[in-house]
Amino acid sequence: MSTTLSRPRRWSLLALAIAATSVLMFPIYWMIMTSVVPSERLLVSEPPLVPPADATSFSAWTSVFRDVPVLEWMRNSAITTLGAAVISTVVSTLGGYSLSRFRTRGQQAMGFTLLFSRMLPGTLLIIPTFVLFANFGMVNNLWSVTLVNTAATVPFTTWLMKGFVDAVPVEIEQAAMIDGCGRAGALWRVIVPLLKPGIAATFTYASILTWGDFLFARTLMGNPDGWTVTVGIASFIGEFSVDWSGLMAVGLTSMVPMIILFLFLEPFLTKGMTTGSVKG
Amino acid sequence: MTTEPQRTPRRGAAEPTGQRPPTASERPPGLRREHRRRSAFAYLTLSPTLAIVGLLMAYPLYVAIDLSLRGGQIADLLNLERNPLTLDNYGDVLGDPGLAGDIVRSIVYTLGVVIPAFAIGLGLAVLLNKAFPGRRIIRPLVLLPWAVPGVVVSAAFAWMFDASYGVVNYLLRTVGAIDSNVAWLVDSNTAMFAVILPTVWKYYPFFVLVLLAQLQSVPNELYEAARVDGASPLRQFTHVTWPAIRTAASLAIVITGIGVFREFDFIFPLTGGGPNEATQTLAIRIYNEAFQFFEMGTAAALGIVTMAICGVLLKAAGRAVRREFG
Repeated sequence: MSTTLSRPRRWSLLALAIAATSVLMFPIYWMIMTSVVPSERLLVSEPPLVPPADATSFSAWTSVFRDVPVLEWMRNSAITTLGAAVISTVVSTLGGYSLSRFRTRGQQAMGFTLLFSRMLPGTLLIIPTFVLFANFGMVNNLWSVTLVNTAATVPFTTWLMKGFVDAVPVEIEQAAMIDGCGRAGALWRVIVPLLKPGIAATFTYASILTWGDFLFARTLMGNPDGWTVTVGIASFIGEFSVDWSGLMAVGLTSMVPMIILFLFLEPFLTKGMTTGSVKG
Repeated sequence: MTTEPQRTPRRGAAEPTGQRPPTASERPPGLRREHRRRSAFAYLTLSPTLAIVGLLMAYPLYVAIDLSLRGGQIADLLNLERNPLTLDNYGDVLGDPGLAGDIVRSIVYTLGVVIPAFAIGLGLAVLLNKAFPGRRIIRPLVLLPWAVPGVVVSAAFAWMFDASYGVVNYLLRTVGAIDSNVAWLVDSNTAMFAVILPTVWKYYPFFVLVLLAQLQSVPNELYEAARVDGASPLRQFTHVTWPAIRTAASLAIVITGIGVFREFDFIFPLTGGGPNEATQTLAIRIYNEAFQFFEMGTAAALGIVTMAICGVLLKAAGRAVRREFG
């Protein structure tokens, strides 16, 4: 299409895109702006719309890192996110392969169960899950947060991976098996490398979901030492007088790992949605 | 019309085999061994999913049902098996005149999020599918909210909606839309709007992602042919773009709809369901029953009822979506 668009039209599209982006990015801009302007300049009825030259400071950033255990929260989030994303990716690669290549009753029932389990309200599941983990003495344990988040992502990621495996011709693994690979060998050496975009999409999806999880982490983690970054942030909001600059600094900090991951994997994600969620 | 008797034995369908297999008895022994290995592998690869879903979805669901039939206060969690079966919790939930309000609020919230998020997502997907300078920079930017944790989104909007110093009030005052500040999150007339907006912001990128991926698979020649035939942009949209994306669109609407219907991360930190239950959806009500009032049995029964409502709505939505899009 690029060749057929006239030059003024291309520029007007850019103008439209910039206008839309400015509106949509305003919340993030406002977070940045809030984090670098001292409260006394913000808590007025007509706050400045751009950081004033004479009063821009990073004191909120430094004080937040001093007063609040942001880095510990980030570490807890990183542990649960990495754990849940790795387990989800492995489990849903195997499960997606099974659902794609074998069509038996077990696979059909599982496919249906996975769709159904997306209907369970998280707030319902968390009650018995809390009881379950309490019985095993696993409340206030990062593993329980990791496992619950894995379970929450697996239904969708398995369908996502099934779509990716569907796109790989069966002949490829048959050829590998004729060449002497076992079934598992064919899966590991031939299919998995071809599934890289799908694995990237699955990993990103599971990471974003787990990093953003608040319900499970909040319920299973009463002990502040184990708070993830979302629970830490929410603890700010309920307070009577909120330190908005500090809160925005923590919020922005919490976004950094996901933005990095997202920028790396975003091209895969667009592809992943075509093959995965749509055909699946 | 005569119906021919089925030649292939029915049990063939139950065999763990691939597409259109011969039945087990027809197979030579070597193939039978291969067939066993194949089905073993089929279940081996599925077993981790089975374990996760069984342990962390099916078992909790079973406990929830049990709890809804035997339990009451949090202390009952310890001696559930000794409590008699009763439908009291369901009676309480279904007899509660407040339930209808919770259902209506859940639906208002879901539609209030899904419709604008879809509209924004579709507009952006169509725009980003066109070649213009800077597209590569704009695309990840508009998708970014998807990567931001819901609680961070809530925090940002809580600040922007602040009654005294919020930028929303300031901007609206500046353009003359309001005379005096609105307490967005505290006023029961505006609270629902104030929790919907951040949710829309979080969810529209998913539509961009799905629809854009779909649009990119439409061959350019189709648009060129339409242009040669003199089709207006609107007709190009209704005759080329829309048919290409409508299946994906309906699926994305349903997936997002389920997600929003159960959403917790935006409403709870922003309003906790208040003011005066103005933002109390079913998901929030369940949480409050369980973890504020410790009425575990009621919460569990409410959860099961919610699931049933979700199923009914899903079926209705599926039909509506199919009629509209499919």
